[in-house]
Amino acid sequence: MRNKSNKGKSVGIKPKTSTRRYLKKTWQLYALMLLPMIFLIVFKFLPYYGLTIAFKNYKVAKGITGSEWVGLDIFTKIFGKRDFWPAVKNTILLNVLDLIFSFPMPIILALILNEIRTKWFKKVTQTLMYLPHFLSWVIIAALGYQLFSVSSGVVNILIEHMGASPIPFLQEDAWWLVTYVLIGVWQSMGWGTIIYLAAITAVNPELYEAAHIDGANRWKRCLHVTIPCIRSTIVILLIMNLGKMMQGSFERVMALSNAKATEFTTTIPVLVYRWGIENGKFSEATALGLFQSVIGLILVLAADKVAKKIGEEGLL
Amino acid sequence: MKKSGLFKRAVSMALVTATAAMTVAGCGGKSTETSTTSGNTENGTYKDYKSGFKDQVTIKVPVYDRAFEGWNVTDNYYTKWIQKEFGDKYNVKVQFVAIGRKTEVADYKQMIAAGTAPDIIFHYDMPQAINYYSDEAMQELDTKEIEYYAPTYYSKMKDTMDKYGKIDGKNYFFFANRNPIYYNYVTLIRQDWLDKVNMQMPTTLDEFNKVLKAWKDAGLGKDGDQLMTGSFTYEYGFLPENLSTEDKALYLDLNVAPLTWEATKNYLKDKNTEYNEGLLDPEFYLNTKDTDAKADFVSGKTGVYGLYMNSSTDVISSLLANDKDAKVATLNPGALAVDGRASYYQYPNYGMIMGINSKTSAEQRAAVWMYLEWMSQKDNLFYLQNGIEGKNYTMKDGIAEPVADFKGESKLSDNNNKDYWCLVDEIAQYDTEEKTYKANLKTLAPAGYEKLIEDAYNYAKANEKYAVLTPAFTKTVSSISEYSADLLAMWQEFYVDLITCKPEEFDAKYEKDCKEYLKGGYQDILDEKQQLIKDKAYIAE
Repeated sequence: MRNKSNKGKSVGIKPKTSTRRYLKKTWQLYALMLLPMIFLIVFKFLPYYGLTIAFKNYKVAKGITGSEWVGLDIFTKIFGKRDFWPAVKNTILLNVLDLIFSFPMPIILALILNEIRTKWFKKVTQTLMYLPHFLSWVIIAALGYQLFSVSSGVVNILIEHMGASPIPFLQEDAWWLVTYVLIGVWQSMGWGTIIYLAAITAVNPELYEAAHIDGANRWKRCLHVTIPCIRSTIVILLIMNLGKMMQGSFERVMALSNAKATEFTTTIPVLVYRWGIENGKFSEATALGLFQSVIGLILVLAADKVAKKIGEEGLL
Repeated sequence: MKKSGLFKRAVSMALVTATAAMTVAGCGGKSTETSTTSGNTENGTYKDYKSGFKDQVTIKVPVYDRAFEGWNVTDNYYTKWIQKEFGDKYNVKVQFVAIGRKTEVADYKQMIAAGTAPDIIFHYDMPQAINYYSDEAMQELDTKEIEYYAPTYYSKMKDTMDKYGKIDGKNYFFFANRNPIYYNYVTLIRQDWLDKVNMQMPTTLDEFNKVLKAWKDAGLGKDGDQLMTGSFTYEYGFLPENLSTEDKALYLDLNVAPLTWEATKNYLKDKNTEYNEGLLDPEFYLNTKDTDAKADFVSGKTGVYGLYMNSSTDVISSLLANDKDAKVATLNPGALAVDGRASYYQYPNYGMIMGINSKTSAEQRAAVWMYLEWMSQKDNLFYLQNGIEGKNYTMKDGIAEPVADFKGESKLSDNNNKDYWCLVDEIAQYDTEEKTYKANLKTLAPAGYEKLIEDAYNYAKANEKYAVLTPAFTKTVSSISEYSADLLAMWQEFYVDLITCKPEEFDAKYEKDCKEYLKGGYQDILDEKQQLIKDKAYIAE
């Protein structure tokens, strides 16, 4: 990439002709790009127009253009709603917990898998571990209730047979939180591992050799060679995860929630769904979604800045 | 050189066109034809479409999709029949649009927003119908026009339309007829369990709770229930005696639970006791669908289950497959009410409440009236309700008796095609009540279980004095549409907590929840309703 742009600069004395010549030479590539560009415009940029209903009193029959502008009224309204601040709090809480427990797991797992010598065992383990990624949350939640519900869950029946009293894994607020996080870890760790394993294979074997000669044991090699080499991958993924801080999986919360344990189940995506899809309050839902995106953007930018400060490449 | 310039221009042209096309597509459906309330008149009289429309007219007719197994709501024997018998005759294309029964409001709102909503916008309850009106999704109606194109239908429904169809003095709604029956909703109870504990059918709440206790001691099942998601009638068994019309207007609402009302408190308190004594299914709130509650009943986990009965219901056969000694009976409604005063939601004398989509053209509107007129014809309606004689049913003493387990192509839907003919009538009926009842014994109960409906009928007759009619407001209560969704979410959280909390915590929790509920919008609703009651802006008969 760098070479190419340098070339462009050096010929830049006669820019007009060079652009044309350049285009003539590479028009096929631009043609190829056309389709993704259209896709981007249609599905990513055009919908921005719809965001205007966050500032309008949107009436379905009047349409987007026909509804009247109300300024920031909708925002004032949603900030005053009973569910708003708990939703913000819960979204952040669930995501921070995920970051603490779900984010490091794939790294640890990748490091462990990397050290396994028996090839078939490594392959089988890896495959089994990333399978849950392909299950929909609805199915996982159904399994969860089959296993963990108080009166008919398999786990609780076992616990009861051992003489203890059943644990409301999904039916009490604090327990729900624990179960939610653990199920998340189980579902996502295998899949995340693939990326790190790929990064690890790119580590120069000579580095290991050199460390070996210097007398580093496997633990030290892992600590001083593997981890520093995949650090940039970790940082990039961390930044991307921070961007999702205000989102969180809608299906996961929705599918695992029930009417008993409600303390942590109102999150921003759930509210957007409830307001927008269930109740048809499109203006409120759009405003909430916009609020969420803006905070998410700020978080990504901040994380990117921090990453660059500590000497990483960053995302942007 | 020239070639690349040309190419560039071509590309930019293509991009611009694509973008423009997408923009138009993106906000299409909004700026299409504006409606005209007139348009079917010519020289002062209505145009005659009896010989059919010159150009084909397409009408979109909504139909509830209740997710019946193996039933395509928009394309089946009867939709084809309607097209053949009505559509082809008048050069009308009848297009059915599926509306999810449980997601109907969301479905409608999305379709209205996208400009693809059916020509008829309907709902069973007045407050939501008024919401559609305040969303400006409906157009004003010309009753003369209805009379012209649908004389049979209009003569039957004229009074109802005059009385209930106006908002702020203008005609907006038209209705389906309803001669309500109250014996199609049946609460089943395990008779064999009653026999096992040597007890009679309970007639009051106290007796019912004693039965539950006896069941518990004998190691049998519990009281079944499921998570409430709307249609609030839970409080009817706990209503005070001599309820004033003002209180009815203030508190009774199918869409907003009256949490702060004494009746609700008593209901919750009773359920709380039931829960804490281990008489209620402890995980009732995990039953979010009717099928969950049904599964509990079938598996013998619970001994009580309520449903709209139908000859094709499989709940009894499934129960018997699980437990061949099981016996079911109709629960006396008094068992769910204090002192056996089984108050119930009295239906108004109209069924479906309908309006015409604001985007519907004059010709489409005329076609809709003609469709209603066609369906109001006795033969057509009877065919739609019963199917083909000799196949779906046999005629006995002037009553269509359904053929058991009929599986042919003209099989009716699981609720006897109601979702098609509900546009003109809510309950299938014969010329006399006696005949209707006799027919219902056959159509509402699986063969051999007519006794269940018979009992339900007798209970309903005995309880007629406890009917409670909800007064209907003649103006929009705007705070309801503003807050009802938030209040529903709050209600679910609170009521489950109040039922499952320890008895000694109940009062403090209830008080706290009521305060929050009032603050969350219920106070606004009460205030607005209070004002309307003061202005006498309601119909209470």
